[in-house]
Amino acid sequence: MGFDEAMNSWSERTDERVRKRPERKNEFYTHSGIPIRRVYTPQDGIKSQEEYLEKLGFPGDYPYTRGGQPTMYRGRLWTMRQYAGFGSAKETNKRFRYLLEQGQTGLSTAFDLPTQIGYDASHDFAKGEVGKVGVSISSLLDMETLLHEIPLDKVSTSMTINAPAAVLLAMYLVVAERQGVSWDEVSGTIQNDILKEYVARGTYIFPPKPSMRLITDIFQFCAENVPKWNTISISGYHIREAGSTAVQELAFTLSNAIAYVEAAIDAGLPVDSFAPRLSFFFNAHNNFFEEIAKFRAARRMWAKIMKERFGAVHPKSMQLRFHTQTAGSTLTAQQPDNNIVRVAVQALSAVLGGTQSLHTNSRDEALALPTEQSARIALRTQQILAYENGISETVDPMAGSYYVESLTDELERRAASYIDYIDELGGAVSAIEQGYMQKEIHRAAYETQRSIENRDEIVVGVNDFRIQDEVQPDLLKVDPRLSEEQKAQLNELRATRSQDQWQRSLDELREAAKGTKNVMPYILNAVRAYATTGEICDVLRDVFGEYTPPLY
Amino acid sequence: MAQPIRVLVAKPGLDGHDRGALVIAQGLRDEGFEVIYTGLRQTPLQIVATAIQEDVACIGLSSLSGAHMELFPEVVRLLRERQAEDILVIGGGVVPDEDRKALLEQGIAEVFTPGTKIQEVAEFIRSHVRFDSLGEDTEVGLTNKVDHVAIAVPRIADALPFYTQVLKLSVVHEEVIHDQQVKAVFVKAGDVHIELLEPTAESSPIAKFVQQKGGGLHHIAYEVKDAADALAAAEQAGFRLIDKKPRFGGRGKLIGFVHPKDTNGVLVEFCQLTTEEVHAP
Repeated sequence: MGFDEAMNSWSERTDERVRKRPERKNEFYTHSGIPIRRVYTPQDGIKSQEEYLEKLGFPGDYPYTRGGQPTMYRGRLWTMRQYAGFGSAKETNKRFRYLLEQGQTGLSTAFDLPTQIGYDASHDFAKGEVGKVGVSISSLLDMETLLHEIPLDKVSTSMTINAPAAVLLAMYLVVAERQGVSWDEVSGTIQNDILKEYVARGTYIFPPKPSMRLITDIFQFCAENVPKWNTISISGYHIREAGSTAVQELAFTLSNAIAYVEAAIDAGLPVDSFAPRLSFFFNAHNNFFEEIAKFRAARRMWAKIMKERFGAVHPKSMQLRFHTQTAGSTLTAQQPDNNIVRVAVQALSAVLGGTQSLHTNSRDEALALPTEQSARIALRTQQILAYENGISETVDPMAGSYYVESLTDELERRAASYIDYIDELGGAVSAIEQGYMQKEIHRAAYETQRSIENRDEIVVGVNDFRIQDEVQPDLLKVDPRLSEEQKAQLNELRATRSQDQWQRSLDELREAAKGTKNVMPYILNAVRAYATTGEICDVLRDVFGEYTPPLY
Repeated sequence: MAQPIRVLVAKPGLDGHDRGALVIAQGLRDEGFEVIYTGLRQTPLQIVATAIQEDVACIGLSSLSGAHMELFPEVVRLLRERQAEDILVIGGGVVPDEDRKALLEQGIAEVFTPGTKIQEVAEFIRSHVRFDSLGEDTEVGLTNKVDHVAIAVPRIADALPFYTQVLKLSVVHEEVIHDQQVKAVFVKAGDVHIELLEPTAESSPIAKFVQQKGGGLHHIAYEVKDAADALAAAEQAGFRLIDKKPRFGGRGKLIGFVHPKDTNGVLVEFCQLTTEEVHAP
């Protein structure tokens, strides 16, 4: 019996059984709405060696579907980079050093909202927010405390900072300077992805155009002075958290990335000068196979975009490198210990998808910032995946799975059609200005809510398998006095710094911002003169204006 | 039904996570509420000003940044300061149980955490806004009786035979109401009267109604103990009135109308018996 005959015979026999004993649902879909068939066969996977070479290639080879490096985790495990930050620089420094002692291999800094929006802890808008979702950094003094006794030539630091990324990067570089570490030894990442702030996360300051200029200034400055620094981490994470599907996450992130590359090329930078320092940030969500396929599709799509659309020739310009975080929005306040299991499965999808670094969420994050104990369990989850299960012993073990390859193709097809449409709208910046991405995400978020309420989607502990009278675990509390302490410290700084040097540095920054010079050297000087985050951002606000979003 | 309950969904503080706020806003709209969304980064003062200006019945605050303990109670305090404490304040977001209890003590009516159904929020608002807490003294004061159903007709003489000959109902009263430029004939159907209205001049409101619609059901009149009180109660519940004060209508009764835009297109009359009443046999 030939293949087709055997397949047809099996289908008929199975259909017959299903008529007597129906399947659990009439139709099955991934979270992105891709139909899932009962079974996948070689017809759905990679059908020939030619197709293998075209779609997959070998690890470390174009189009990098199987991974950016030839040996992947056999050579070096992913970086375990737990996002941390709360309260004062001193407290966060303590947590950083704790995580490094526990075997974490990179730092990842969460800043509080006033810092992320360029306000000092003493500003009126900072009321109630100081130190809440991250660490409060108002000046170089805070940054010095944050990095106290952390060797900046050995540890790489990721900073989740966007609108004022230039300011925080400058502070980091001045601390390195004072530790005697040369800038070409310093490594790390700034998120620096403003487009997704307009779309999904809301911590913008300036309008899109000057924001894009700040970003290309950073690209240029780092290409010349801080060669190991990842100058942007283009984030699908927040797009997904705002409610998008996996397809939208892939499509909107790559569309934003295209906009950054175009802006840099328009600013006169050769594509291969900055493209190797672009990195990505994705979400690892619940639909296990769809997530693995998403990571693999992302690598393949980016390689093609860089090669075919932008004419990049440097292999590093085509290799998509990404950090992954498990999906915070899937965690439930109900039965928080269940979140440990959710996180483990999501983290597994990131590892099987070939991530370069990973953050695993803590079980109590639907309730508050993680306690030290919860943060440790989250890190241990990664260590168990890395060392106990043999998952990391071969490169891209999911390749060739009929289902995963079929999903990878389908995600690519659907994401590419979104990207085409966004191109028709005039590119990502224009699509965002028209509210297109925002509306698409909102629609998906609402549909998810509806399907949970209708119980089309089951969330364990929320709409099924509930228990009565849950006891809440101990939660982390941020000291409310922190805000006052920060204010007092700022007042002292303002009284003791050299007024002349401070004033001059801000005046020079203002002139540079008005013109077309790269602002980075001026921001560095202002930081050295102890100008605060708020003061530097205020100068830029004066020159650039502030962004107010339309309501949809 | 009242005009839709107006809800302000607001994001206080610097938190940019608006997925929950947007989903709730959309969900409440689908549940029949009129929803205004403030957008991001609002101060408590701005939120209270918008709420008062927009005359909302409920404010829904959303925050995931941990700043709820400082921002939510401040909204309640400012509402009290402006004597607008009848506006219901509810909250949502990442709020630990202990904080939830503290917020309830400070005047937040309820706190909804992730996993809440939209319908739960909708039902909570419906059963807690001032609309339902009017109290006895502001009841409409119905006597549980429909006084009459009014039907506009081009000519009573043409319409009447259906009622008298086919339905075998009797005419009980006839009257020309001069200030309304209308002739009215009442027939009795059980406990209810049917009022046939014929315009007596082209400028009559009934003439316009007949011109536009060719006649038809014009209003339903409910008997009330006190028409002035009934109108005041309806206005307080958010219904627009045609008559701020009662006036004399047919048969010497005190009457007042509620605007049909707020009652699904039905013109509603409150109608109070008076000693002036011309009794129908």
